[in-house]
Amino acid sequence: MVKRMSRGARAALFAPLDQTGRVEAVTRRLVDAVTLGLLADAEQLPSESELAAQLGVSTVTVREALVALRQLGLVETRRGRGGGSFVRAPADSPAAPWRERLRAVSLTDLRDVGDHYTAVAGSAARLAAERSSAEDLARLELAAEDIRTATGPAASRAERHFHLEVAAAAQSPRLTHQELQLQGEQGGLLWLPIGHPEDPEVAHTVHRAIVTAIASRDGELARKLTEEHILDAIDRLAAVHLELLGP
Amino acid sequence: MNDSRSRPGDEVVAQVSGIVEGIFAGLKPLLAAVETLLADSGETTAAELDRLHPQVVELLEGLVIGAGFIAAPRLLADQQFGFQWWTNAPSGTPTQLFISLDPGSEYFLDYTRQSWFTVPRDTGRRHITGPYVDYLCTDEYTLTFTLPVLGGPGTDPAAGGQGFAGVVGADIFVREFEHATLGRLHALAVDRSARAALVNAQGRVIVSTSARQATGSLVRELDIPAWWTTGEESLARPDTTLRRCGDAPIALLVTTR
Repeated sequence: MVKRMSRGARAALFAPLDQTGRVEAVTRRLVDAVTLGLLADAEQLPSESELAAQLGVSTVTVREALVALRQLGLVETRRGRGGGSFVRAPADSPAAPWRERLRAVSLTDLRDVGDHYTAVAGSAARLAAERSSAEDLARLELAAEDIRTATGPAASRAERHFHLEVAAAAQSPRLTHQELQLQGEQGGLLWLPIGHPEDPEVAHTVHRAIVTAIASRDGELARKLTEEHILDAIDRLAAVHLELLGP
Repeated sequence: MNDSRSRPGDEVVAQVSGIVEGIFAGLKPLLAAVETLLADSGETTAAELDRLHPQVVELLEGLVIGAGFIAAPRLLADQQFGFQWWTNAPSGTPTQLFISLDPGSEYFLDYTRQSWFTVPRDTGRRHITGPYVDYLCTDEYTLTFTLPVLGGPGTDPAAGGQGFAGVVGADIFVREFEHATLGRLHALAVDRSARAALVNAQGRVIVSTSARQATGSLVRELDIPAWWTTGEESLARPDTTLRRCGDAPIALLVTTR
């Protein structure tokens, strides 16, 4: 079942744009529409020429914006009869109905994602302890501070960014890539601030401890702390899942 | 005349220095184009960065797989962050990079924390970042060459009346740099039954003839960052020699087993 967005939202989406930074503006507007759920998953976009006419830009501009959306994995283009560009709702959209997704998830799958994620993020933390230069450590420290003041979507961004920095400090493109993929697993539920300990200080303390372990080249401790941090997040999700199922 | 005698490793040093200087020299026309753009338009807008497209695409050849201009925050009149960056897609067609530039977005990653941005900003000098995982652009293991651009607002009279306006830069993949340099490195290691590596100023291995001293690992036997700050051209120990590759922030490390 494909939900259509409201008329008002659709009108705003397709209102003409200024001529400045058109590709980027078109891209941003479409990205926002998809990530905020204004365009439903699997919904077909108007044709390039229709979009161009509605937005008041050239088809070349629309085409470039669609390339960007495809690169972001937010749009899929199918060729041939019944072809066109289709929305692919992002896994970790903040406004996506996480309750439904968390209710639908199975604890078996959640555990499996947790196993995979701890394997990747734990190894990344261990390697980061071996391979972080002073520069890497400075960036890790900055990333660890971000969560202190963050709430809502900013908190989930700070979590994801912190673990991304650890993977990058491991000097591994593959682990970094896997980290990014796993962050989107189960609809990006993992780092949503759901059932989070009220206090961002808790997450901040854990991130600081991981950075300290990396700085002192204690790979095993960095791995252990990272694994526990992820298992805590999985536990929280499991608890909320059970709550949603009700008694 | 010690200098006229050739030393082992001369070829490697000359090649690396040649690659590095070639890439920095290649950035000069783009740098000039950015300076002209900033001087011409009183208030530069994000859309006007499109005018840099010819100079950017011109750079995409040889080892260079990505290039462009990254604006300092608030340089542009109409948005806080902005850039014009193109990469050579595997198909060989240049593709423009789009990432979220909206600090409020879920996907925003702050590029002003990246060394390729901060070092030229803070030192006023050219810089090579990496090897590092470029998660903002290609997700590949990368070396990024950047030059500071002056001519922005926020003019500081003490800095000669020229504010920092951003950086122009070029990316190369570490694996391509390896393809270019490993042959000579290997020849060097074979001659001396040694292992040879190219390392950056932080002591991070870029290319090595030994899997035990892998790309991305840090050399711990020597304090390379400390040695680097001494400004010495080379270091000789009984089992180890370290030599700068010209003015490049890359050194040749040869270790006998």
